Amino acid sequence: MTRDKKVLRFAKKLVELSSENGIVTEARVSDVLAGLKKTTVRNKGLVLKTYLHYMRRAVAEQTAVVATPGALSAEALAAIESNFTKVYGRPITATTTKDESLIAGVRIRVGDDVYDASVAGRLKRFAESVN
Amino acid sequence: MKAISTALLIAIFIPLGLYAAAPEVAEAAAAEGNKITMITEKFGVSVPTLIAQMINFGLVAIVLYFFAVKPVVKTLDERQQKIADGLQYAEEMKTQLAEAERERAEKIKQAAIDAQKILTEAREQSKEMIEVKTQEAAAQAEAIIRKASEATELERLKMLSDVRQEVARLVVSTTAAVLSKELSDADKQTFSDAAAKELAGSAS
Repeated sequence: MTRDKKVLRFAKKLVELSSENGIVTEARVSDVLAGLKKTTVRNKGLVLKTYLHYMRRAVAEQTAVVATPGALSAEALAAIESNFTKVYGRPITATTTKDESLIAGVRIRVGDDVYDASVAGRLKRFAESVN
Repeated sequence: MKAISTALLIAIFIPLGLYAAAPEVAEAAAAEGNKITMITEKFGVSVPTLIAQMINFGLVAIVLYFFAVKPVVKTLDERQQKIADGLQYAEEMKTQLAEAERERAEKIKQAAIDAQKILTEAREQSKEMIEVKTQEAAAQAEAIIRKASEATELERLKMLSDVRQEVARLVVSTTAAVLSKELSDADKQTFSDAAAKELAGSAS
């Protein structure tokens, strides 16, 4: 348990080193991984796994995954990035994924937050409101 | 019986007493001029013979008293005592019988009173029990009716809810299918752009 806590603390420290002004950058991540490769650390596999977990969360928190059934205009993506950057107080990068089940509209996920403005979501909420 | 024997003894001993007192009598008689002597002589009464007869009579009387009269008197006394005892016993029995009869009558009377009391109490208890049971039955019937009504209402509401959900599900699935078929890519993009801008605007 003590070892796990140490690993967690070390992984969090690596994540902090991987970000610059709260933003994870590829260059910093590469530096961290290179430094980690050179050093001898106990449970390196576990440390890397934990670091990956925290990194995925950090990347997810600064990425807005926009699910949409079709194409989305660059203007809409730009609006999403700018507004969510303002809301969360950190740079948010928008990426799109295709999801035909949404019928039309978008569903945006930032970290653990989900914003749904899809037809499927609205229909689902409508069905749930009927009881 | 004692009186008889006493009278017999008196009859025996009075003449002896008279004879013992004869000198005084004789003197009195001599004083009156020997009238009695003349009478005795005239009737042929001899004093020694009379005394002997009296002694004989006394002896016979004594013998009779001790060997005949006394046992008879004793037997008679015993019989009389037995009769008295029997009478007393009969009287006591009669008294006891009367007492027993009275007690029996009292007990019967008390038993009748008790029976009447028990009967009255039993009637009252049965009446109360009937009332209680009637009330309980009415309450149970009311509870059953109320539960049945509630269950029916719940069932109705559940059915209504199920119907609504089913209708909503059908509407949603139908709408989704129709929209998926009917919306063109351009429509979808237009809608998605509008939705993205709406979300971006609402998030800010």
